[in-house]
Amino acid sequence: MSNVILFNLTTFLFGVASALYLGALYAKNENIAVAGTWVCVLAAVVSTAALGMRWYESYQMGIGRIPVTNLYESLVFFAWSVNLFYLVVERKYRNRTFGAFVMPIAFFTMVFAVYNDSSIQPLVPALQSYWLHAHVITCFVGYAAFAVSAGVALMYLLKARQEEAKISKGVVGLLPPTKTLDDLVYRAIIWGFPFLTVGIITGAAWANYAWGTYWSWDPKETWSLIVWLVYALFLHARVTRGWHGRRAAIISIVGFLATIMCYLGVNLVLSGLHSYGGS
Amino acid sequence: MADEKRAPSLIDRIWDFFISVKLAIVTLIVLAATSILGTIIEQNQPPEKYHQIYEDWAFVLMDRLNLFDMYHSKWFLFLLVLFTVNLSCCTIDRFPRMLKVVRNPRTKLDGSLEKSLSLADRWKRKGTLSEWAGKYAAALSASFAKPKVTEDGSEVHLYAETGVASRFGVYVTHLSIIIIFIGAIVGNVFGFKGNVNVPEGEAVTQVPVRGGTRMQDLGFTVRCNSFSLETYPSGQPKAYKSDLSVIDGGREVLRKTIVVNDPLQYKGIWFYQASYGQAGGATAQVAVARKDGTPVRMLALAANEPVPIDGYGVVRGVNYEQNFQGSGPALQVVVEKPGQPSSSFWIVQGRPDLDRQRADSLVFSFRGLSSRMFTGLQVAKDPGVNIVWLGCALMVIGLIMAFFLSHQRVWVRLARGTDGRVEVVLAGSASRNRIAFEKRFEKLQTGVKAAGQ
Repeated sequence: MSNVILFNLTTFLFGVASALYLGALYAKNENIAVAGTWVCVLAAVVSTAALGMRWYESYQMGIGRIPVTNLYESLVFFAWSVNLFYLVVERKYRNRTFGAFVMPIAFFTMVFAVYNDSSIQPLVPALQSYWLHAHVITCFVGYAAFAVSAGVALMYLLKARQEEAKISKGVVGLLPPTKTLDDLVYRAIIWGFPFLTVGIITGAAWANYAWGTYWSWDPKETWSLIVWLVYALFLHARVTRGWHGRRAAIISIVGFLATIMCYLGVNLVLSGLHSYGGS
Repeated sequence: MADEKRAPSLIDRIWDFFISVKLAIVTLIVLAATSILGTIIEQNQPPEKYHQIYEDWAFVLMDRLNLFDMYHSKWFLFLLVLFTVNLSCCTIDRFPRMLKVVRNPRTKLDGSLEKSLSLADRWKRKGTLSEWAGKYAAALSASFAKPKVTEDGSEVHLYAETGVASRFGVYVTHLSIIIIFIGAIVGNVFGFKGNVNVPEGEAVTQVPVRGGTRMQDLGFTVRCNSFSLETYPSGQPKAYKSDLSVIDGGREVLRKTIVVNDPLQYKGIWFYQASYGQAGGATAQVAVARKDGTPVRMLALAANEPVPIDGYGVVRGVNYEQNFQGSGPALQVVVEKPGQPSSSFWIVQGRPDLDRQRADSLVFSFRGLSSRMFTGLQVAKDPGVNIVWLGCALMVIGLIMAFFLSHQRVWVRLARGTDGRVEVVLAGSASRNRIAFEKRFEKLQTGVKAAGQ
């Protein structure tokens, strides 16, 4: 089970990266943040190797399948996506303060994963389909984008409060200007929304191929629709009614809470067709 | 007169209501909020289950509000219709205006337009208007898009645009939702869904649909030849397999082994592996032989069903144990011979020799239980499904157009200045992603400015 050892190392690295980013913000020392970036890159390498290893090990066990089929695997895949998405954002916006708000999401996801069964289980008949790959990957890229958006939305709310009070000192003073944050909240969503849409569509196509019905209002489907509606609301309110800043940031956070409900809440609290995702 | 005035204004007001984005936002919120309700209250359960959970008054109230099957209730349907009408009206209202703007772009950079654009640059050149217009047009063609040239008295205007398709993205997306709904309606009206259990060796020509209230003729016959269950070494299920034959016009036209995620389709009707189970009780397989070992026959004993053996008596299997006295599966057999008291004894599957010790003319050995299985098939016909996929494809295309394309416009105005030189204004705007466009505009600015120098 060397993949699990690598995932545990990833958890540790995400924790270190989060601590470095937060420490850099606190000490106002860019060098610490640079170290954080390198730890993130290392974590990306280690977690990618871990995913590959897990995939390979499943073949060794004679049940070869993509490692995104139960709660443990989906959590590590989600954390992996958040980390990569974050690195892209950091590089593009040339600002390392995002890390203090985004990397903890990846870290706590991994911590949560550690408390779940990490053994490689064979696939139940319902999951034996190529649709699995397209469906799970697109959904989780969407989720990762929403996670980044919500983390940045939180930064926005902190920064905006400070700007109103006309202070630019302290930790919050280091955050990018509200205009940049507001733009990033939106940009992460316009990446997440098409991916979620494709995720829902591939899920529907798969359901149609497996059960003969593309939409059955099962709780997971319904919650994915709710998430979709919340972000559709965000986009309409922003583009046509000019909802920027605070209101947009709040919808982004609400959207991510709905995403968490769709991803975890449905499996842990409600029951339905997707029940195998909960164990 | 007063009536004439009021009538159109009422229609206008209704129209304004349906084209408002406020209505869209409210509908989105209400749809999201009510959808949550349906995930908290488990849907389509038997009434007894709801009675266990809810007080009587709450049950009656929730039943009245159709909360136990809310996604098919009239009020939820009403919300979906409202959503669609709003969507359609918004499109009808805005699309022609947008089309007009796209077809007749403002190709001249006049004063008011110039003021509204934040990205602009101005410079002067010696020479003639047409000479510089030609140079700048070539520069724009090379690094942006071929411009449209308009000569207006003493001024020359250049106008170039890219990514105009991004303006249509939102309409393609909205249209896709309407198409998906049309597909869903077609499927509901002209399609059917049902479940049917087919025991091994048997066939069906009809399936119960609409919760069993109606029988749907298939127009052909489907036979289950066999069903099998494969497991992983750990005992977890690996595959449910049904060997199905389609019989049409008296002969087998199609044969396929279906598993979950690999259905059979014939004449637009799909058969999905949905469930399985035991068809009737199990039968015990018992081999009968003489003392010297010559086989007599195989018996298939259903529970307590007497089976006669000529010249011997009547045999019944009366009891089965998974693990008889630690020796594994065993069957209790009762033998009744004419004129003798009945005798009862156990035969153990793993110990075929044991029965030899019994003083009798025949020896019985238990070969195990076998049970006939049935396969549970989900049967569906949905002529609307391809319309739904068309809508889905359009939605993805629409979203990409709307989010990842940007309608970028660039204007150049050349005018004769008071000092006799050519006054040049370069300006630009983008429908989205302005930060990226600023960078592009900067490059364009240096490129165009340097042209002809």
